[in-house]
Amino acid sequence: MENMSDRYREWVLFKRVLAYLRPYGQWVVLAILLLLGVSLLNLAGPYLTKIVIDDYIKVSDFKGLDVVAGLYLAVLIASFVFQFLQNYLMQYIGQKVMFDLRSKVFAHLHKMSFSYFDRNPIGKMITRVVNDVEVLNEMLTSGLILIFSDLFTLVGIFAVMLYLDWRLTLVVCTVFPLLAWGTRLYRVRARDALRKNRAHVTELNSYLEENLSGVDTVQSFNLEKANLDNFTDINHNRLKEDLRTVQYNALYMPSIDLFSSLAVGMVFWYGGGRFVQDEIQLGVLVAFIQYLQKFFEPVRDLAEKFNIIQTAMASSERIFELLDTPEQLPDQVPPHPGFKMKGEVEFKNVWFAYNDENFILKDISFSLSEGESLAIVGATGSGKTTLVNALCRFYDIQKGDILFDGKPIRDINKYDLRRQIALVQQDVFLFSGNISDNIRLGNQQMGQEEIESISQAVSSHNFISSLPFKYEQELKEGGVGISSGQRQLLSFARALASNPRMLVLDEATSSVDPETERQIQSGIQELTHGRTSIIIAHRLSTLMHADKILVLKHGEILEFGLREELLQQKGVFYKLCQSQLQSQRMPSENAGG
Amino acid sequence: MENFKLFWPYVSKYQRELKLGIAALIITDSLTLVVPWLIKEFIDVLPEKPSSGILLEYTFLLLLIVLFLVVGRYGWRMYMFGPSRKIEFDILNRLFSHLLTLDRAWYLKQKTGDIMSRATNDLRAVREFIGLGVLILVDAVFVIITAVGMMSWINADLTFKVLLPLPVISFLFFYFVKEIGKRHKAVQEHLALITGQVQENLAGIRVLHAFVQEENEKRKFAALNNEYIEKNLHVTRMFGVFTPTMVFVMGVAAMLSLWLGGKAVIAGSMTLGSFVAFNGYLMLLSWPMMGIGYVFNLTQKGMSAMSRIREIFTAQPEIISAVEGTGSVGELGDIEFQGLQFSYPDADTPSLKEIDLKIPKGQTLGIVGVIGSGKTTLAQMLLRFYDPTAGALLMGSRPLKEISLQKLRGSIGYVSQAPFLFSTSIRDNIVLGRGSDLEVDEIVRIAGLSKDVARFPKGLDTLIGERGVSLSGGQKQRVALARALITKPEVLILDDAFSSLDSDTEDEILRNIRDQLNQTTTLIISHRLSAVRDADRIIVMDAGQIIEQGSHASLIRVEGIYAGLLQNQSLAKEMEIFL
Repeated sequence: MENMSDRYREWVLFKRVLAYLRPYGQWVVLAILLLLGVSLLNLAGPYLTKIVIDDYIKVSDFKGLDVVAGLYLAVLIASFVFQFLQNYLMQYIGQKVMFDLRSKVFAHLHKMSFSYFDRNPIGKMITRVVNDVEVLNEMLTSGLILIFSDLFTLVGIFAVMLYLDWRLTLVVCTVFPLLAWGTRLYRVRARDALRKNRAHVTELNSYLEENLSGVDTVQSFNLEKANLDNFTDINHNRLKEDLRTVQYNALYMPSIDLFSSLAVGMVFWYGGGRFVQDEIQLGVLVAFIQYLQKFFEPVRDLAEKFNIIQTAMASSERIFELLDTPEQLPDQVPPHPGFKMKGEVEFKNVWFAYNDENFILKDISFSLSEGESLAIVGATGSGKTTLVNALCRFYDIQKGDILFDGKPIRDINKYDLRRQIALVQQDVFLFSGNISDNIRLGNQQMGQEEIESISQAVSSHNFISSLPFKYEQELKEGGVGISSGQRQLLSFARALASNPRMLVLDEATSSVDPETERQIQSGIQELTHGRTSIIIAHRLSTLMHADKILVLKHGEILEFGLREELLQQKGVFYKLCQSQLQSQRMPSENAGG
Repeated sequence: MENFKLFWPYVSKYQRELKLGIAALIITDSLTLVVPWLIKEFIDVLPEKPSSGILLEYTFLLLLIVLFLVVGRYGWRMYMFGPSRKIEFDILNRLFSHLLTLDRAWYLKQKTGDIMSRATNDLRAVREFIGLGVLILVDAVFVIITAVGMMSWINADLTFKVLLPLPVISFLFFYFVKEIGKRHKAVQEHLALITGQVQENLAGIRVLHAFVQEENEKRKFAALNNEYIEKNLHVTRMFGVFTPTMVFVMGVAAMLSLWLGGKAVIAGSMTLGSFVAFNGYLMLLSWPMMGIGYVFNLTQKGMSAMSRIREIFTAQPEIISAVEGTGSVGELGDIEFQGLQFSYPDADTPSLKEIDLKIPKGQTLGIVGVIGSGKTTLAQMLLRFYDPTAGALLMGSRPLKEISLQKLRGSIGYVSQAPFLFSTSIRDNIVLGRGSDLEVDEIVRIAGLSKDVARFPKGLDTLIGERGVSLSGGQKQRVALARALITKPEVLILDDAFSSLDSDTEDEILRNIRDQLNQTTTLIISHRLSAVRDADRIIVMDAGQIIEQGSHASLIRVEGIYAGLLQNQSLAKEMEIFL
């Protein structure tokens, strides 16, 4: 049977959703008052009918009829105005709440660290921001309102009936326990079917999505038949619950008719009897019959709305789950805005793991003075990119400390920190918009001249000028139509435009033509000029320009020091250079590897 | 009409049930019309001071009618909504199976989200059209005709006057539905914009955070969101007038009936019971009046949804599988490209040009070249996701078109750099439903995955999450390798398949593969020259052409591009060999 903790959880969820209405409190109250007005006005019809029958038809009063007709028209007009206002107001509130909620979810996503994005597929996050918020809005505007209006109608009808004849009302009320019992039976089962159904629908959709996204794989491995069987199974499970829901509704909805007719039957029998004894007027009986027919409409309506509300509950649960994910990398001390970096960096016994004790960086220590350049070399998986991620505080380190100008990284406002470090990643992400937008990013103050001179400095001006629309060239999602070398140049311009104190560059490995290669090299020269810079180096030429060298292996420092010193020590770095130089001079001799 | 042809078979399968449903509906509606009449009789008999026995008779009569009504109502709900769900089930299965037959060229033009939306939202619209649409139409037409008939029978003159305002509703519907549809579309399109913005934001989140663009993005998002509100309220203003107008018009009719009907009763041309029944019938009309508009709406939505689903059904793959022959297709290990040329659909320039290449069975071919030079395209030609634009591709001396896709793809193990894994267990991802007798443990060892698997809580049965999120890049690549190797394919394609592994592991895996599959023709695409060094032959590609080929040693002697690549080979790659 119904689970208490489930009920409690839904109530808590519901209260949280309602809390978003609070900023619009007075509007909500007004909307509810309007709704109350509409519900009451809608009850006027049968009452006016009663007046017509008992007060005018009986005494053949034509004048009185005209008055009632006029009154009716006035009621209709008032109801029209109220309904319009209420409708508009509620939609307005719903939209505002949706705006708030969507902005909040969006902003909250931006507070997450990279490890969150590593774990969560993009599609899932989009669903939270877009679809789930939409569903919740539907509940707020149509679901909630209908509940109120149905409730008002129920209470209103009950009150009018009591006023008209309390004895008849009480007799009619004997139907209610039956109705409550039936409703409960229905609700418990329907909820169960709906819940299971929703789980199947989710499963079905993810299976479909998976097969569409991975259709190449499905076809390469001849999985069409097997996957269709799986899909049919899941689909069949859903159909089963669908049909269960249909059956519950098919039983419950007509049962309401039965109850309502029972009530009308009582009016026939008990009310008719009292009329015979002159204890009740004919108009009252007619009004009762009409009210009873209206009375059961909201009950049916509430059952229909049950579905919407159940779905919205699931959506709100998912939204709150996201909002309840604590902000990662919070600034512990009150942020000190205005941290001006000079450019000294020090790693002190830094340990870092993405998860558990699986350390990627082990006891890393090194330091750079202002304006120095450091080249990091190491094999794939040696921790180069991780080191950079820790430096920009995309993740928090577990042990040790990172200091900027002697200040611990946790004491620096992370936004200030990142603002002064320009990170150039290997895989350049281009946003939709034109070239200029992609260089200036959010900085609207940056003028066209400035953008061009920046591009000139990092040697990207040439290729941009060769594009059909130059700086106004629109880039589609993913930046099609621009080569990887050109993207790299564009990312240099983007980095320089942010005028950083420090530069971090993950040098691209992809081969480019010699001309682009030359441009990239000169771009790097310009970027690093006068700035503390850390470059993950893939080219010998880069190594030869760096002041310091750090050799990483399996997350540990193999060698670190000034380039000149390392060369004199004749260690790993020296051998590496030798081998590279040799292979450049005499490629064939190095053939054996 | 086209829609009708396509969807009719699905509907006609449940003809019997649907007919039963419609019959039940008509019975229900008829009984519903009896109730106001009974009330009329009751009211007219009251002034004659009936005995309580007669009153009880009326009560039982009412309950009897309602009992039948309840059965009828249960009937139409079961037999109209039930089949519509089953029809949806059938269509969805068929759609899924059809989607899996469509080829790359088609998928390239689609967005997954769009297909999803057709399979879910549009299909729901079709279901509602079939179930709800038919129901409301039958219900509305029947109730309107009979109720108006009854009313005319009671008092024709009054009926005419009372119903005078109703055509306003129809008029409103035609105008409003069209206008609302237009505004609604604008809202939908704007929502797509918002989705796009969020999608891009999340895809580029690393850059945005690195450049501290959070506030900026929030501002942009807020602006977009604000516009969305505006567009939504634009719809609301329409709806806000629409619904109350309907209620108002029905109200005016009720008012007229009360006013003019009351006068008629006083004048003696109508009994009080008839007056009440007249009002009762009028009340019955209010729902069908709105229902007609609703049907209009459902039909409009249903039709456009059908067209959108039909677009998928009518799409046909260009890649047609050869019919499975006598089974004597033979071995496919010998590969030959004959002057092959290939352009992607709608591309200006060919992606592969003049490819002439022979790979004898059991040999290894290394393919190197810069990004975008056509390496992957070349290798994937074997899987026949596309047919060559010109020239031919033979396997086992037969053109690919003569080999069934099942046989062809079943003989090739393809491992890509970013493999697609399913959200099942590691074991299921490796076996992929291809039999239970496969030696998973052995393959896991060959793929260098044993140690990793041992660390997982449930070993091979560990669930790996959507797209394999819980695995590292290197683990995903090795699972993909294992699932390709387990059927001992005749041709193995490693498309930069070990990019996330260190070179020691890569070497070890390559050694394992060579030991185990010496009869397998292997194509290795790699940026790491160490991976192709031992290949029987290496080709260097550039702009879709083979510009150099030979063994490692011979290529170096030529001192051409390959030698240059080796020389220019990035430092980190050299590090891998060195460290």
